[in-house]
Amino acid sequence: MSVLAQAPVDGGSSWIALARRRSARAVVGFTAVALFLIAWQIAGANEIIRSDLISYPSEVAATLIQMTASGELGSNLAVSLQEFIQGFVPAIAVGIAAGTAFALSTRLHYLFEPMIVALNTSPIIAFVPIVVVWFGVGTQSKAIMVFLAAVIPIVINTMTGITQVHESWIRACRAFGASQSQVIVKAMLPGALPSVMVGVRLAVGRAIVGLIAAEMYVSVRGIGRLIQVYSTSERAAEIFVLVAVVATFGFLLVTLLRRLESLIAPWSLEP
Amino acid sequence: MTEIGMAPALRPQAGASAPRREQLVLGIIGTLAFLVIWEAAARFDLINPVVVSNPSRIAAAFVSQLQSGEILGDLAVSLIEFAAGFGLSLVVGIGLGIAMGLSRLTEYAVDPFVWFLYSSPLIAFYPLIIVWLGFGFATVVAITFLLSFVSVVVNTVAGVHGVDPQLVRAVRAFGGTRLDVIRKVILPAAVPLIIAGMRIGLGRALHGVVLGEMFSSNAGLGYRITFYAAHLRTADVFVPLVILVVIGLLINQLGNAVETRLQAWRA
Repeated sequence: MSVLAQAPVDGGSSWIALARRRSARAVVGFTAVALFLIAWQIAGANEIIRSDLISYPSEVAATLIQMTASGELGSNLAVSLQEFIQGFVPAIAVGIAAGTAFALSTRLHYLFEPMIVALNTSPIIAFVPIVVVWFGVGTQSKAIMVFLAAVIPIVINTMTGITQVHESWIRACRAFGASQSQVIVKAMLPGALPSVMVGVRLAVGRAIVGLIAAEMYVSVRGIGRLIQVYSTSERAAEIFVLVAVVATFGFLLVTLLRRLESLIAPWSLEP
Repeated sequence: MTEIGMAPALRPQAGASAPRREQLVLGIIGTLAFLVIWEAAARFDLINPVVVSNPSRIAAAFVSQLQSGEILGDLAVSLIEFAAGFGLSLVVGIGLGIAMGLSRLTEYAVDPFVWFLYSSPLIAFYPLIIVWLGFGFATVVAITFLLSFVSVVVNTVAGVHGVDPQLVRAVRAFGGTRLDVIRKVILPAAVPLIIAGMRIGLGRALHGVVLGEMFSSNAGLGYRITFYAAHLRTADVFVPLVILVVIGLLINQLGNAVETRLQAWRA
């Protein structure tokens, strides 16, 4: 909402105005991106700016096709994906379990609170070298980094979610004779799910950064390793391809999680 | 806009002092227990103390690094890079955020780029940034800036959008200029959200400093971590690491304090 414009046209709340605003956003955004890409293409392809420094869209596209065709992209992506899953799935399980335990027992929460806060507020990437020293240069250290990066937001959001569940739901369950475990499964976890899912989505971004940083630091295969390889050859096109691949992976995963959320818990959909 | 209004985790509850004391005591007990178990595991050779290290070795490393003064130089480098990168992101972030909040055309045009920066793994760009800006200070500052300025922009835009249009109209009706509107209405009203954005930005800026130093610098706490790790001096690795954790905690405490003040001021 533009606050300086005062004409009533601006604040129109009718469907037509809303649709018009949406399409204006799309048109202007699309135009800006298109102009940017055209300028980039012209500057790079004509060597107005050295193309090995900035590359250009058509070269990036060609490089993407070539890296996909050679299998280079697929095989390294598979390694990264495997490391991601090995760390992320345990992070969800441990995160929800620990978050539930902390929500049920304040004392237990207080015992671990300093360590959780420290892990949450410190730059997790700084742990990469020590994790590599402890767990080796292979896939294990990457999975550990994914786990460390992902588990904290899931713990915190599970805990917050459960403490915010309506007291009346829990009392209703108890009134009908539910056991403690039934209360957790039937009332607390479903009620906390929206918050948990926010934590999981937050964890996706952090885990990807942890994974790529660990692979860049030292590894044998993986997307981060490729980035490191191409950084020494100073090839901008390959770097852009790899950045796009990682960004797309994150985007797809978050979209998938939203879909999943709407399937298993339609009540949790955000507006 | 997932970042807006994201619950700042684990804020110590204000209120009764008895639970507060329990929280403090239990927290200290938990941390001490962790350290004692770690130390005992190393003493009884359950873990290899040379590879894994243990609290007493780390304490000794702390003393020797402080005495040599080396770590203080790295701390200074990191803090300067942090201040430069975050300062830049505040200036650019608030400026761009206000421009986007005031002009819908600007907002629509810039939005895709902001979201690209927000959602793409900026860490992967560091080889290009080194090529563009060279190895060292400028690259670290640039990475710090890129990581932190998006949260400032996004929150500033949301803050400007949240301004009551009636107040704007009132200022205009009494002959106020656009600049008056920005200075007297929009900035004050947007401050809470800008501060929330700064808070997220501070954390991301610290990430950026470490990232930049680890991969493209030969000074600073992040560089020192990789240096010691490469020489397998595990206990020494923990000195810059612990300092970074403490900086993270201090930033978080500062954020809590500012937000508590702000809430008191608004109430």
